[in-house]
Amino acid sequence: MTILGICEWLQNTPWAYGIKHSSWQFPLIESIHSLGLSVMLWPAALLDFRLLGVFMKKRPASQVAAQFLPWVWTGFVVMVLTGSILFASEAVKCYNSPFFRTKLVLLVVAGLNALVFHTTVFRDVASWDEKPATPWRARLAGGCSLAVWIGVVVMGRALAYA
Amino acid sequence: MLSESFKPFFDWCGATWLGTTVRDTVWAFPLIETFHLLALAVLLGTVLIVNLRVFGLGRRYYASAGQIARELEPWMLTSVGVLIASGIPMFLSETDKCYESVSFPIKIMLIVIGIVYQITVQRRWIVRDDGKAKIAACFSILVWTTVGLAGKGIPYV
Repeated sequence: MTILGICEWLQNTPWAYGIKHSSWQFPLIESIHSLGLSVMLWPAALLDFRLLGVFMKKRPASQVAAQFLPWVWTGFVVMVLTGSILFASEAVKCYNSPFFRTKLVLLVVAGLNALVFHTTVFRDVASWDEKPATPWRARLAGGCSLAVWIGVVVMGRALAYA
Repeated sequence: MLSESFKPFFDWCGATWLGTTVRDTVWAFPLIETFHLLALAVLLGTVLIVNLRVFGLGRRYYASAGQIARELEPWMLTSVGVLIASGIPMFLSETDKCYESVSFPIKIMLIVIGIVYQITVQRRWIVRDDGKAKIAACFSILVWTTVGLAGKGIPYV
């Protein structure tokens, strides 16, 4: 079975079809998807700003991470759950959309960026925790995260119109 | 929902240069909406971070809700500026839709209530460490979340 075939099957399951053709279910799930963004994106951006050394410089980076990462994960779970439902209800449109494909690639990049950050420079956070100026790898991770997540939002919006 | 007396004003808004330009440019609305959405994430995120501190979330990191509110205030005010600056051209480009929508007047009323509430009650109550702070926090979360939801609702109802 091709990926497109799976998308067609998914979109035609009764529950996915029901969501897409209900007058209120798709907008409601989309609204929750948008609200989840506030829980995830802004706390993630605040951590990125700390890593870039532009905000909350007086606070240890590990503390800023400990405070905001639970927000990011909570928001992320909401985004993935609601996003999966939205995808299922219009899977073929998503499959054909360059914006959706770019969004998926950006999500993978975001995941890899976080993984590299946590397994390398953040392991060693004790050595730069209290310093307002962060190591270049932390700045790179922060800048990359910020750019990629904004890209994800842009692709998400574009997907809704194309 | 809106009284017919608003109609000439809405028509005038829709005929402005900005309104027609946004309407006639294919990518303008989605682009402006993206900025609107990003700024909403900043505003709602801040509202949640500050108000949930009243209920004790993040007490290990901040002594009080007032402290984090002050620290995040410049960002929050910037986001409000971006929301208004991006919201106006979106409104101008689809005044007919806004006129017929129920969500739009509700959203505008809630924004006015939210701003007045923020500068009168919220600022004073949030720094108290009692039941009033919790009531203030709940009301703030409720108002701003509903503003976001009502915005989402404009194309539908």
